[in-house]
Amino acid sequence: MLLFVVGFCLTGMGKAPSAKAVYVKTLKNGHYQLMVDNKPFIIKGVCYSPIPIGQGHDYDFWSNAAKPWETDGALMKKMGVNTVRFYQPGENLDTVKKVIADLYEHYGIRTIMGSWLGFWNYPAPFYDDAAFREKVKQDVLNMVRALKDEKGILFWVLGNENNYSFSGKINPWSSERIDKMGDPRQCLLARAEVYYSLINEIAQEIHKIDPDHPVAMGNGELACLDVANKTAKDVDILACIIYRGKTFGNIFNSLKTTYNKPLVLIEFGCDAYNAYEKKEDEEDQAAFLESQWSEIYKNLANNPSGAGNCIGGTTFEWTDEWWKHNDWDPNGWSVHDTESNWSNAAYYFDIKAERNMNMNEEWFGILGLQKAEGDALDKRIPRKAYYVIREFWKHPYDVKAATKKNNHGA
Amino acid sequence: MAVSLLVCMSAYAQQAQETKEAPATAPIAASKEAAKEVKSFAVYSDSKSSDNHYIPSGWMGDYGDLSMDDKYMSEPHSGSTCIKFVYTAKKTQNQGWGGVYWQNPANNWGSKKGGFDLSGLNKLTFWAKGAKGGEIIDKIVVGGLKGTYPDTTEVSMGPIELTSQWQQYTVNLAGKDLSYINGALSWVVNADSNPNGATFYMDDIKFEYDPALKPTGKKTQEMPFYVYADRGSISNHFIPSGWMGDYSDLKIDVGSTENPYFGKTCIKITYLNKASNGARWVGIYWQNPPNNWGGVDGGFDLSKATKVTFWARGEKGGERIEEFKIGGIMGEYSDSDTAGIGPVILDKDWKQYTIDLKGKDLSYIIGGFAMATNLDVNPDGATFYLDEIKYE
Repeated sequence: MLLFVVGFCLTGMGKAPSAKAVYVKTLKNGHYQLMVDNKPFIIKGVCYSPIPIGQGHDYDFWSNAAKPWETDGALMKKMGVNTVRFYQPGENLDTVKKVIADLYEHYGIRTIMGSWLGFWNYPAPFYDDAAFREKVKQDVLNMVRALKDEKGILFWVLGNENNYSFSGKINPWSSERIDKMGDPRQCLLARAEVYYSLINEIAQEIHKIDPDHPVAMGNGELACLDVANKTAKDVDILACIIYRGKTFGNIFNSLKTTYNKPLVLIEFGCDAYNAYEKKEDEEDQAAFLESQWSEIYKNLANNPSGAGNCIGGTTFEWTDEWWKHNDWDPNGWSVHDTESNWSNAAYYFDIKAERNMNMNEEWFGILGLQKAEGDALDKRIPRKAYYVIREFWKHPYDVKAATKKNNHGA
Repeated sequence: MAVSLLVCMSAYAQQAQETKEAPATAPIAASKEAAKEVKSFAVYSDSKSSDNHYIPSGWMGDYGDLSMDDKYMSEPHSGSTCIKFVYTAKKTQNQGWGGVYWQNPANNWGSKKGGFDLSGLNKLTFWAKGAKGGEIIDKIVVGGLKGTYPDTTEVSMGPIELTSQWQQYTVNLAGKDLSYINGALSWVVNADSNPNGATFYMDDIKFEYDPALKPTGKKTQEMPFYVYADRGSISNHFIPSGWMGDYSDLKIDVGSTENPYFGKTCIKITYLNKASNGARWVGIYWQNPPNNWGGVDGGFDLSKATKVTFWARGEKGGERIEEFKIGGIMGEYSDSDTAGIGPVILDKDWKQYTIDLKGKDLSYIIGGFAMATNLDVNPDGATFYLDEIKYE
């Protein structure tokens, strides 16, 4: 306790007592509202990975001399974007700080900063290994210490779709202790408990060193949140990755009975390529994004027709990324591939594509890219979605009517 | 989306008595005043009637199992003829189902302009009876033909169980866009529901206008609500039609008599370890209507359910199913929610499993049940059994 008091005093040294910069407020009606500088804040965001044409996933865009965030920041500001989501900071945290500061100071855009939690480390994320857990924890805390005083920071996101590893769908991991359980369901639940307990430990530590910013937990869909409800109680916000087409379905209400936290849709969207008609499709992308945003608004605090637990979203994504199809092949990084990477019938407009492969990972941008001369920044070409969402944010339409329109033709 | 089966009082009373359940909808009130106002447009009235506007030309599925006599003269409902259909359930084309569309012009699957503007009418009525009674028509569909000249609506209803007496059936089209209808109606029967085939009769098929008819929403179903009870049971509400992954390696017998948990049959699922389609996993959805991946309106409002229960056993014990689930089909008409359990390792003996549905939105479920597994956890394949799948 003594140590805590001393630590608290040191953290607060030189500052007048003040409210937290960013926090979640629970309203009397049980709804959640994100508060920034003591004012309600709706996250109107985009996922931001400005990888130039011809570069791959390991490209350090933070150090790009062309400063894409300046061009993008201006376009975002015009559109009404107030938040960007980064999946992970670059290695040089000084350059990261500069980008965060530029976006905030010049364009008023805040940053949600994430961490993969070592998910893509080789050979696997051994979350049940004490040394691995400690390393992940320290990496995150170092990031927080380095960036927490940036005025542009909104909150932290721990993990992305790491929960899909519990069943072994991606990046399978386990431990001797877990494997001894035998029953696969028990093993899955044990991995969930292990992972979410790490999330909780990190959240607790972040709260100690950075009381000014909430901690969110990234999660693919709603899978295993019943375990998180018991194990990750200190998380402030749930950040979900959802690809359910035009709608988010029942997740807003469903969460209330499984993991009752404020929800930010941290990744959702629609690609702009019709794999069935084999051509760019701005219309369907715009229509789907508008529908998704209408559901987000419907479920914001104080909207009587919704669940009141949503605090906004970050659309995937700002610009196309040309490296994503066959990401291991540098020859493809300069080609805007039209081959699909995965299938999702919720995007029904092109599900009749060959083998039902309709999701085009390189075409999710609400801005397209065009190669510029030399090292100049790739030209940004706003798609219809840019304008549609801009208008929606200016004048959110009657979401009740929109819901009726989209409700199974009833 | 309004889809309802309205039957006349006598048929309604008989069905309610047989099933001891509440009727699907209220019966049509037959009043002289209403009858005076009815406008009608015949699909079939008599074999040589100039009023017939559509031709029963669109034969589907196991068309080799079907035969038709549209001049059948024995005891028509009215006039001098009715139509007699015979379905043999021999699976001549290996489909397991058969059906007939009434089209205009004949054989028009949407490739040419035809059909009629039926705006102003709001229901389709027909009379039907079975040769023995108990014949099951899986569904009746109005409209629904696609192609270059697609129908402007698609409404389906069913299943219906025929009696040996003429009964009138009604498809409620109130509120639907009937401005272009090439496929006036179709019926579909399947071999699971009619393992020994079916002979049935139809007569006086027509579109009508009923000023008292209102669009109806989807009815909230009473519990328990079966996905699968027994082979051919009218209680079965979903069809195992959504094949996924290595579908060539999956064999499903919905009429297995190998030690069912309850009733006469259970479902036997055999998964071969061939990876024939290169996926190394396999799955199947029980859908409504069959093959509905969210492309058409269908399904049920199961809001009263709090859980799904089912019984399962493995042939040897130790078979691993990665997931049993409900809902989760996404499309233009998506399931309203999803829930599941898994992985599950089956015992050799029957064991009941439960999927918790508390807090779920079950107002629109087209994917009533599903299972998925893979070769990594079943390297030798797997044979297992399911029975008594139901919402409660």
